[in-house]
Amino acid sequence: MNDVLVELRNVGVAFNTQRRVADRRFWALEDVSLSLRRGERLGVIGRNGAGKSTLLRVIAGILTPDRGSVRRGPVSCQLLSLALGFTAHLSGRDNAVLSGLMLGLRRRDIDARLPAIREFSELGDFFEQPIATYSSGMTMRLAFSVAIQVEPDVLLIDEVLAVGDAEFQQKSGAALRKRMGEGHTVVLVSHDESQIAALCDRVLWVEHGKSVREGARDEVFAAYRGDLHLNGAAA
Amino acid sequence: MPKRLLELILFSTYAELRAERARSYLGLAWWVLDPALMMLTYWLVFDVFLHSGGPDYVPFLLIGLTLWQWMKSCMTHGGYAIWSNLVLIRQVRLPPLMFPVVAMLSDTVKFLCIFALLLVILWSVGYPPNIAYFALPPLFFVVFLFGAGIGFVIAAVVPLLPDLRFVIEQVLTAVMFLSGVVFSMASLPPPWNHVMALNPVNVIMDASRDILMHGLWPNWSALGKVSIISAAVCLVGMFVVMRLAPRYPKLAD
Repeated sequence: MNDVLVELRNVGVAFNTQRRVADRRFWALEDVSLSLRRGERLGVIGRNGAGKSTLLRVIAGILTPDRGSVRRGPVSCQLLSLALGFTAHLSGRDNAVLSGLMLGLRRRDIDARLPAIREFSELGDFFEQPIATYSSGMTMRLAFSVAIQVEPDVLLIDEVLAVGDAEFQQKSGAALRKRMGEGHTVVLVSHDESQIAALCDRVLWVEHGKSVREGARDEVFAAYRGDLHLNGAAA
Repeated sequence: MPKRLLELILFSTYAELRAERARSYLGLAWWVLDPALMMLTYWLVFDVFLHSGGPDYVPFLLIGLTLWQWMKSCMTHGGYAIWSNLVLIRQVRLPPLMFPVVAMLSDTVKFLCIFALLLVILWSVGYPPNIAYFALPPLFFVVFLFGAGIGFVIAAVVPLLPDLRFVIEQVLTAVMFLSGVVFSMASLPPPWNHVMALNPVNVIMDASRDILMHGLWPNWSALGKVSIISAAVCLVGMFVVMRLAPRYPKLAD
């Protein structure tokens, strides 16, 4: 239970602000450390622009840090991306296969899950039609239905807990909570404190690209709220 | 290469071809109509108006343009593939080399369709199949290697320097006119004819016409040199893409 799957030490990531000959670098992450153990559900909190999404992309292996180090065990870390690689002129079925392959599934696994994807997305015969004919709600339903099929060792979620209309929001939210409750290792980024409080056992608080505190949920939340309150009072 | 990646590359190629077909009313017909219209233009300019074509000009031109279009699309379509997929590269961890490979494979499928049609045309205008056709697979291999090599190099740098695209189109047009694609380089005076003998595109053009029009085996030593150069360019391109890979997810498209 205690084995560390991913460990970040003093990680910093810089972006170029503009495509110009003389350019300035902007550090989206300055100094973040964390360690993620098997079976853990880690929530990441922080204000807008704190670097939460960049952090997820570092854990996913999409971004390589410019300083500090990332140590990742032999595990797959996948960002739950909706509509990944979706192409307007392809059918729902073809898009599901393409997206599933990009999310790390094997072809035979996707083929086996296509009936479930079709069922969950409630698309009916539209599943065989080009997604150019879909409403945005239908596209999101298909996107979520594909994404929820992916089973990486570490699931990374960035604010996509519920999509579509009210009814589908409930259904997708429930499916995701079920997935998170199955003992998977999860990192969840959200603005919604209540969601993190309900779903995570440990919390990392990030501010201005730096990790402020990492620890048990209630302890970090207490410190975070105290800080918000202080800043609010100062303003 | 992991099997999953191979599956992804093959399915992406299928998806690209399928989406392209669905994007226009005439669909697949454009694979052939588009090069046919271009060939018509060159035929009108060089043969009908300028009378510079010579007796075998139509098959000469058809062969040249069919092979050049394949090479050029590997270089440009493949070359712009990483840049045009930056949105995806920012969202998911995939080897960036797969994008040019998918573009080149889909262009190769299109080329094979056009080439089949070219053979039918050649047979019907008096250039029947001959024993030298056995040299076509190695020739195609060299052409692909050359197009892919240049394509990988372009693919590596265009995401960092998108302005290059404007230069690349012009350079390729110049290369086409200087490589015996639309008119023969054989009549050039020395030393230019010797210089042209070193041009890989010109070597490929000569080899393909030797095979398809004259029933001759290609110049193997010249083709061999081109394949060595192409393999080296391929390796350099792949190496640069892999070296620059950490920078791509940080770029805006």
